[in-house]
Amino acid sequence: MKRTVARLLTVLGLLLLIAGCTTVKPWDRDLLAQKRMSFNPTPMLQAIDEHIYFSKEASMGGIGVGGGGCGCN
Amino acid sequence: MAGPPEKRPTVVRDALHTAALALLLVPATVQAADSEAGDKIDLTWLQYGEQSRTRIAEPVVRFTHLMPDGQSFSAQLGIDIITGASPTGALPSGQVQTHTTPSGRVVTSPPGQIPTAPFQDHRLSLDADWKRPLGRLVITTLGGHVSREKDYQSLGANGEVSVDVWHRMMTLTAGGSINHDSVFPVGGTPAGLSDGTILHSSANAKRVGNIFFGASRILSRKWMAGVTGSRTFESGYLTEPYKLVSVMNDNGQPISELTDKRPSIRNRTSLLFSSVYHLTDDVLYNSYRYYTDSWKVRSHTLEIRYRHQLDTDTYIEPLLRFYTQSAASFYTVGLHDGAPLPDFASSDYRLGRLQTITLGATYGFAFDDNPGNWVVRAEYIRQAGDSSPPGAVGIQRGFDLAPPVNIYAIVVGYTFKY
Repeated sequence: MKRTVARLLTVLGLLLLIAGCTTVKPWDRDLLAQKRMSFNPTPMLQAIDEHIYFSKEASMGGIGVGGGGCGCN
Repeated sequence: MAGPPEKRPTVVRDALHTAALALLLVPATVQAADSEAGDKIDLTWLQYGEQSRTRIAEPVVRFTHLMPDGQSFSAQLGIDIITGASPTGALPSGQVQTHTTPSGRVVTSPPGQIPTAPFQDHRLSLDADWKRPLGRLVITTLGGHVSREKDYQSLGANGEVSVDVWHRMMTLTAGGSINHDSVFPVGGTPAGLSDGTILHSSANAKRVGNIFFGASRILSRKWMAGVTGSRTFESGYLTEPYKLVSVMNDNGQPISELTDKRPSIRNRTSLLFSSVYHLTDDVLYNSYRYYTDSWKVRSHTLEIRYRHQLDTDTYIEPLLRFYTQSAASFYTVGLHDGAPLPDFASSDYRLGRLQTITLGATYGFAFDDNPGNWVVRAEYIRQAGDSSPPGAVGIQRGFDLAPPVNIYAIVVGYTFKY
């Protein structure tokens, strides 16, 4: 069941990524070039939040690598 | 007489900068504003508090050297000052309970209240990373980590490579990390599910390995989306040495306490979906994470942030996060006297059924006569567990076994380049 859900979500993600063949030309990427269009425009704040949630919840991961171990959980 | 500060040149410069980056073909994973050469310093201060429990002050300083060829070197130093109390895992009783901490301190818990134990610690962490472009389409990152606290040490290394493909419409990322951690509990390492018998006073090894793969792509002129899959493998000493499990009689009265014991292997899997959408001036961020592990914890996390741009340097960004998790397979509110001991058991509420709701907002701003940018983030976090879990019997049914935990977190950050 667990694997089925994971696979299903993976397929959905891949569909999302390949959906549509629209190409955005370089001169149309003015908005995308802004720093705030990053998935994580404030990495230090994000790292602080991740640390808090890691110490208070049983889950972790998904955001990327970096940071290190902690005896808080 | 000095007139008001002239902001127009900054706006024009930013616009030209953005246009130049756009002409350079922005990859699906934006690397924008850090591409200028120079040095940058980030300072943050976290003030964290749980109602009647843990308090943390965490100053962090990060130095980044940006080179003209796109390389960057960063070093980060952080200090955590931790004080307060945390739940021991033991059940409340109708009477006053006393408990001796590993450091020898005797703690008293009032009748009907979740027993907690005071603690204090300091954590010092040092991180460094080196980001290096290889050609125009590939970026590699290598990093290292070391941290130390009273009873825990972590040494780690990580690496990541991202490649822009399909006319930079998509970025593929792969990475991994390894951690070699050591746990050396105060007072020695207790045997699991024992009355606290000390096995040894040496360090216990804990190994953590992580791999992840991600893909992000541009969906339209205003929309980017990404998916990241991650696997984490943990082995070694994964038990929380200070947590306890109560043994109760048929009436639910706790009569003794045993130490926590968890499996020595934990494999975690997570899948994260992210979206960033530009609404003319404002930006909407959404993410959803599905998580599962070999301890049978399964969780869902949904986060929504909305950045409302007030002017070039000023914005306000409310956020809402919702998290829910199922209990680990060996989580129990308490063990029953006379019943055979399980292989593993923990009453740590963080391994039980749990929901977390976060409400917060970030305010970003700059002073006209100051070169840097400021952010202030305030968050209210509320955790709620299962107040009357199925395992509660007798008098335990009359107690709130998972009282809500109210948490505040305030972060002040300052970034400047020179």
